[in-house]
Amino acid sequence: MPPKRAGASAKRTDEPAAPVRADALTPTVDLARQIYDQLRRGEIPRMRLPLRTKQNLAFQSRDGVWRLGKAMGTRSARKLDGALMLLRTFCVVDFINEMAADQKTSTLRELYYISEGWDDAKFHSEDESNLLIEDLEVMCERLREDFRLHPEENGASVIGDLTLKEKNRKGLVKRFNCRDDVGDGGYALPFNVEKEKIEFVGTNAKFVIAIECGGMVDRLAENGFDEKHDALLVHLKGQPARSTRRFLRRISDELKLPVVVFTDGDPWSFRIFASVAYGAIKTAHLSSYLATPAAEFLGVTASDIENYDLPSDKLSEQDVRALQTELTDPRFATAEWRAEIELMLRNGKKAEQQSLAKYGLNYVTDRYLPEKLASMGIG
Amino acid sequence: MPPRPTIAQQLAAKQREISVAEFFERNRQILGFDNLQRALLTTVKEAVDNGLDAAEEASILPELTVEIEKRKDDRFRVAVSDNGPGILRREIPNVFGKLLYGSRFYSHRQARGQQGIGISAAVLYANLTTARPTRITSKVEEEDTAHVLDIFLDTQRNQPRVDSEDVVLWDRPHGTRVEIELKARYLRGRQSPFEYLRGTAIVNPHARIVLVEPDGTRVTFERATTDLPPPAKETLPHPYGLELGELGSLLKASRRPTLGEFLAKDLQGVSARAAKELLERTGLAAGAKPASVQGEAQERLLTALHEAPLVSPSSDCLSPIGALLIKRGLRNVLGELRPEFFAPPVSRPPKVRGGFPFMVEVGLVYGGGLPSDQPVQILRFANRVPLLFQQGACAITNAIASVDWRRYGLDQKGGTGIPSGPALLLVHVASTKVPFTSEAKEAIAEDPEIDKELTLALQAAARHLRTHLSRKGRREFASDKFAIIQRILPKLAERASRMVAKPVPDLTPVITRIMDVVNVETRVNPGPDGIRVPVEITNFTPRPRVLELFAEVPPELLAAARFDPAPDGTEPALGRAWWTLPKLLPNARTTLTASFPPKSEVEANDFDWYVAGIDEAHLLGADPLPGDWEVRLPRTIVEAAEVAAQESATSGATEEEVDYDAAEASGGVREED
Repeated sequence: MPPKRAGASAKRTDEPAAPVRADALTPTVDLARQIYDQLRRGEIPRMRLPLRTKQNLAFQSRDGVWRLGKAMGTRSARKLDGALMLLRTFCVVDFINEMAADQKTSTLRELYYISEGWDDAKFHSEDESNLLIEDLEVMCERLREDFRLHPEENGASVIGDLTLKEKNRKGLVKRFNCRDDVGDGGYALPFNVEKEKIEFVGTNAKFVIAIECGGMVDRLAENGFDEKHDALLVHLKGQPARSTRRFLRRISDELKLPVVVFTDGDPWSFRIFASVAYGAIKTAHLSSYLATPAAEFLGVTASDIENYDLPSDKLSEQDVRALQTELTDPRFATAEWRAEIELMLRNGKKAEQQSLAKYGLNYVTDRYLPEKLASMGIG
Repeated sequence: MPPRPTIAQQLAAKQREISVAEFFERNRQILGFDNLQRALLTTVKEAVDNGLDAAEEASILPELTVEIEKRKDDRFRVAVSDNGPGILRREIPNVFGKLLYGSRFYSHRQARGQQGIGISAAVLYANLTTARPTRITSKVEEEDTAHVLDIFLDTQRNQPRVDSEDVVLWDRPHGTRVEIELKARYLRGRQSPFEYLRGTAIVNPHARIVLVEPDGTRVTFERATTDLPPPAKETLPHPYGLELGELGSLLKASRRPTLGEFLAKDLQGVSARAAKELLERTGLAAGAKPASVQGEAQERLLTALHEAPLVSPSSDCLSPIGALLIKRGLRNVLGELRPEFFAPPVSRPPKVRGGFPFMVEVGLVYGGGLPSDQPVQILRFANRVPLLFQQGACAITNAIASVDWRRYGLDQKGGTGIPSGPALLLVHVASTKVPFTSEAKEAIAEDPEIDKELTLALQAAARHLRTHLSRKGRREFASDKFAIIQRILPKLAERASRMVAKPVPDLTPVITRIMDVVNVETRVNPGPDGIRVPVEITNFTPRPRVLELFAEVPPELLAAARFDPAPDGTEPALGRAWWTLPKLLPNARTTLTASFPPKSEVEANDFDWYVAGIDEAHLLGADPLPGDWEVRLPRTIVEAAEVAAQESATSGATEEEVDYDAAEASGGVREED
């Protein structure tokens, strides 16, 4: 179920106020008909959706990513939650059509507040509204941008020798280099990083290093790591936004650059890597589009903590639970990951990226990264 | 005709004296004066108990004001005024200035103060700590002026000493005011005068109590009823409870000419025949003067009395609070916490231990503003007096701790100990002789008979809680369903139909499938012409239903109720009535209405509804008819019940599907969490 958008979107010329594609919401009309027929037959209204759970992740060997499997769940009006979600689906459809008529777009957060006016159907949390939009993506095989909805926060920042063209909000095309033409903050990714918005012109970088924390991005930039090693620095900002993951995927596909992921050494960072490389559970319906199967984990690994004798913290109870959960996660069901997780559990230690500063500010760029990259055959 | 003696005179006629003042001066801790905080509370308590007893004995609705004023440092002045009958001038010094002087010393009836040590001990404590006299103002109805006396207590001779005396005008018909200056400490919280008076107000809903705290805060516990509790009757001592000394005193004081008459008329439960047999067994002469029976003969008589088959002690000398007043009292005082549930109070039938009748009452309140993460609050009472100290040593506490409250819906580690949860337990033990652990009367001693009754009463209250919690669970489940069918489904149908440009279909079949219950809903609508209680029975199941409906209400409520339609049968003594309902089609409703006279105390909680013809899983607001009702059901109902049973036996076979939203909420691992 690859989103239809990827191929079709290039034809759009009237950004930013593109209308909803004529057929984007067609499946919701089918849903309305289905529910109407159920009501006529005296059946409790319900719909079926693929389960977006850890247990229902299936590996797609063709794409090398984890996508939704075949297990289906039922959303039924027998339960209050189900009845509300069904009603909200139609409320959201109405709202999207209204936006299309007015040539407007809205953020997910705005949608959440718009629902204040929906009486019983209003969302109780932003989680609920986000989940429903993802459901709509699955149902219609579309991206939320096709429904004129986008996240509030933009993607992260990029620093390095990459030249690209971006069509800005006034419709003007700007061309610049992400090292020479931007400030110290780097190039900030917009929420839309598709071809119609961003076009890659060229690069001299030999690989991409995706980094969890801003402090580490700054350290590498200050030490001139990008220039010395021909690297493109991408700040993940913790759990990366969709646009960041899509950007990494495009770099990997179109510029054929290797991608390495450099995070803290703790269970949560493992999940950051998994969502970059394998696909996230919540957006598993979009994995073929968002995940970068070629991405590799650089560190900090459990063995790094030992080998480099890094200052560490004891694993908390939550950390231990998270690691144990990961042992049941199909995305981590490889010998390498299993060994890594079990080693961390055994040692009971975690460490931050910046703990490398124990050996001085240049250690990470002069020793650690070159050694790790060499062992991975990069750089 | 001579004038009828006033109540004060009648009380005065019974006063007797015992001289133990000096002993108590050295042992003031057993009277409750061992620390400054407790001294204050004991003083308030003794004065308030006296005030309440005095008013009640005179059939006056008690009205008490307790003022606590800080003098300097640790000196406080406690002033308690009551609206009792007042005390005759000549009795005032003895009542307040002499230990163990009281009207109840030999009486066998339930009263707050049993030994009469209380108030004079407070006077004594004031003497000792501040060297200030206690001021008594008292007015009896038949005099125009009040007497004001300043009194000291002579501890050497257990004699009152009047320091000064005056006559004043007092703007009330009768009453007594005690002003005591003592060394004390005023604290709020547990074991404070506030807590004591709150407890007192709960179990004495006929009293109005005002507390003025040292900082000027004025708390009023308004009365919740104007009905006085029926006066506890004074009864003769029952031989089973007699001890040698007491028998001796009774014999000595008896005005009966002969021992035979003494046995039959000065003791309880001894019939003429039993008296004759007793005399034969002991070899004592029927004609002997009672006072002449002494020494070894007295012992023989006591043994024979203890062994004789006698009529059990009567219990009409007990003054229970009663279920209704426990409820009113709790509601009155705890109302602002808005508890969600007041369990029907449990009033156990009187039982006897030794020669003394006793009974146990339990009230339980749940939810609302009561803290849910703390041990339950326990309000202990003995003869309507709150017990604030020694909670851990009390038989009431131990009985609570030995009930497995987990079975009834409260948290309790390992099934023993004080449970925790948003609950309050009121436990009252009434008896002509409450076995206290000490003279300070702060905790009830262990006793197998009392223990048994406590446990039974607590379990009965706990069962009410369990029923409430399970009904609440079902109601919450049901409120989701009602939200779906009443609010969500119509909107969903409307939007889906609009999208396919068709009219909204009839939702009845879907509604009955979603609900799949017969709902019994009771409302209470008070009005000027009376209280109407409409009961709606709605068939929210997909098939027609033939049902029999049963009501169980307190019998006195059933007697006052008029039903429309009239029941097909009733059993007034058990408070039961029943109806064969008209056949109910899916989504159809029938209503029956009970009407009560204005001001009746009716709550939806008073009605328990039972339904025959459908199983438990398909009932809401009612339970299946219990097996022990032994009613003969109409054939149609029996058949309907059989069909319903088959139906639910097969309904489990419907396809098991994964609930998408539940899986999403629980199974989905979020990367960011």
